Amino acid sequence: MDADGFIETKDLTKAYVTGAVEVVALRGVTLSIARGRLVGITGASGSGKSTLMNLLGGLDTPSSGRIRVAGRLISDLSKKELALYRRNTIGMIFQSFNLVNAYTAVENVAFPLLFAGVARKDRLRRAAEFLHTVGLEPRKDHRPTELSGGEQQRVAIARALVNQPQILLADEPTGNLDSKTARQIVETLADLNRNRGLTVVMISHERDLLREFAHEMIRLQDGAVADREVLKPSL
Amino acid sequence: MRISDYIGQACGNLRKKKLRTFLTTSGVVIAIGALDCMFAFGQGIQRNVTEQFNKLDLFNYVNVYARGSSRPPRDHYDPDDGGGPPMETGAVDANVPQLDAAFMEEVKKIDGVEAAFAELRFPAQIRLGDKEQFVLVQVLSADVCRPMPLRAGRCYDSNEPNGLIISESLLRRLGVNDPAQTVSRPIEVATLTLDLSPRTLWRMVFSSGDQALPIARETHRFAVTGVAERMPFGGMGDAYIQPEAAGRMRKLSVTSISDFFRPAGEAANYPSVTVKLRSVKDVAPVKKELEARGYRTWALMDQLDQMRIGFLIMDMFLIAVGMIGVTVASLGIVNTMVMSILERYREIGIMKAVGATDGDVQRIFLFESGAIGLLGGLFGLILGWAVSMIVNEVVNAIMSRQSAPRMEYFSFPWWLCLGAIAFSILVSLIAGILPTRRAARVDPVVALRHD
Repeated sequence: MDADGFIETKDLTKAYVTGAVEVVALRGVTLSIARGRLVGITGASGSGKSTLMNLLGGLDTPSSGRIRVAGRLISDLSKKELALYRRNTIGMIFQSFNLVNAYTAVENVAFPLLFAGVARKDRLRRAAEFLHTVGLEPRKDHRPTELSGGEQQRVAIARALVNQPQILLADEPTGNLDSKTARQIVETLADLNRNRGLTVVMISHERDLLREFAHEMIRLQDGAVADREVLKPSL
Repeated sequence: MRISDYIGQACGNLRKKKLRTFLTTSGVVIAIGALDCMFAFGQGIQRNVTEQFNKLDLFNYVNVYARGSSRPPRDHYDPDDGGGPPMETGAVDANVPQLDAAFMEEVKKIDGVEAAFAELRFPAQIRLGDKEQFVLVQVLSADVCRPMPLRAGRCYDSNEPNGLIISESLLRRLGVNDPAQTVSRPIEVATLTLDLSPRTLWRMVFSSGDQALPIARETHRFAVTGVAERMPFGGMGDAYIQPEAAGRMRKLSVTSISDFFRPAGEAANYPSVTVKLRSVKDVAPVKKELEARGYRTWALMDQLDQMRIGFLIMDMFLIAVGMIGVTVASLGIVNTMVMSILERYREIGIMKAVGATDGDVQRIFLFESGAIGLLGGLFGLILGWAVSMIVNEVVNAIMSRQSAPRMEYFSFPWWLCLGAIAFSILVSLIAGILPTRRAARVDPVVALRHD
């Protein structure tokens, strides 16, 4: 593996067995992402983008190969260690926002702090601060159903940030948004990358939009890295 | 996660589904209420019996029988014990220790013995005013009678041969509700007996009609000196008189058939003697001493273990019946938890995505299940208590018409209250184990895609 890589994968393979059929989603993906980079991942549907994201995020485990993040071999972690990895190192954003409709915006943002054992008062205070960061503090007591798509995704971003992770994984965060809002969300993520030094890995179908902000682009095809393009070399 | 957060999560989630929570909890409430009621009934009966025995001091008594007695104690009678066949009634064997006046003096010298009195009871017709009752009269000397708890009046003195103590329950049967009114009132005691005197036999042979049977009725006048709250010494009698008075009366004893044939005034061996001890601890040594002297003994204390087993069997039976409801309620909890987990499938995925461990997820749902148990236990206890109070009042109202004293048929000791709540929580947690394990094993990738 590359000694400089903050996120590294080596011969990463993931296969799903559905009945008697084995579907290979990733075939020996090897890549390396340096700390503080904003990397865009593109590819057609079924190319393995989300599978790669789930493996990097510790939501899933590889069939073979290794994943190393910040020097830790993620692919060898136990279920409990993976949960702690998701809690402390990773922040995830999804296309469908994945907010809890029964909670208000601030409660949704505070949700990860619940599992970190932070007291309720501190949770809500910190959540409100992060909502302020994404410009949604005035809407903090609204439930997701009372918010627009863009607002919901901002709440999801605030939630992903509240545990102050080192890496932000965004799985098609603009997929359910109009082009104007999609741009605003990508700009927000790029700001976080620039100003907070967060390593951002973002999947998107909007290749052109992504190229404007990403340091490099990786294209997946049939579960393998088809090409890799460095747009802005690291300093 | 903090304990307070688990509790907060559980309460918040149950509040969101008020109707379902209410229905599931109602099942637990009814089940725990029924179980409480039954267990409290078992406890109540047990407490009443034990308290009654304690109040009557029954555990402090030993009954003594002669070895050749025609009425050996049931539990100790053994035809092969070498004691020989039961003696003919009335016969006296000089080698067999007798229950006579000398024994009464001797037994009082044994360490631990407080008093001793012969078991002499006879049936009699008691008349107070214009009402009559057929009762058992117990013969009891003044010194033994003196510590007896009385509702009104006092115990007779040894120089009051016509003094009589009457039980409160007999008074009620005679239509008197205020015990104090009865003290000093005259009362008649009439005995029936066989009269086999030559004069009666002559009349039987040579007269006709109502003179054909050798039955004699004697009426004696007494004065009530006191009213007993309850009847101690086995509680067999409804009235007490002194041995001097009893000696004057011809009567049909229920403890020995020898009275049929014994001429009035002739001294006899007692069929049995009741020995009162200072404490329960004295029962075993005094029994041992008496048995060493050649007597048979019987003490209620010996039956205590068997009574406990009996109560245990009764409790087990009541619990078994109550457990049917608990089983049904726990199935309700399982159903509710499965539904809750299915509804929140995606939320479980979100929990895991933001860092919840499998243990966190399982505990969140277990607390929810436990909260149903806590609510069910608390309200079930209240329901069980309320129902038992109503049943208690209804039964007492019915029993009071039959002159029975008021009783508390249900008992809710503190450990039963706490135990009911703890049991309810435990059952709910057990019911929640399988669904919550299922929740903990949810694959976050699948759950996050779930609609």
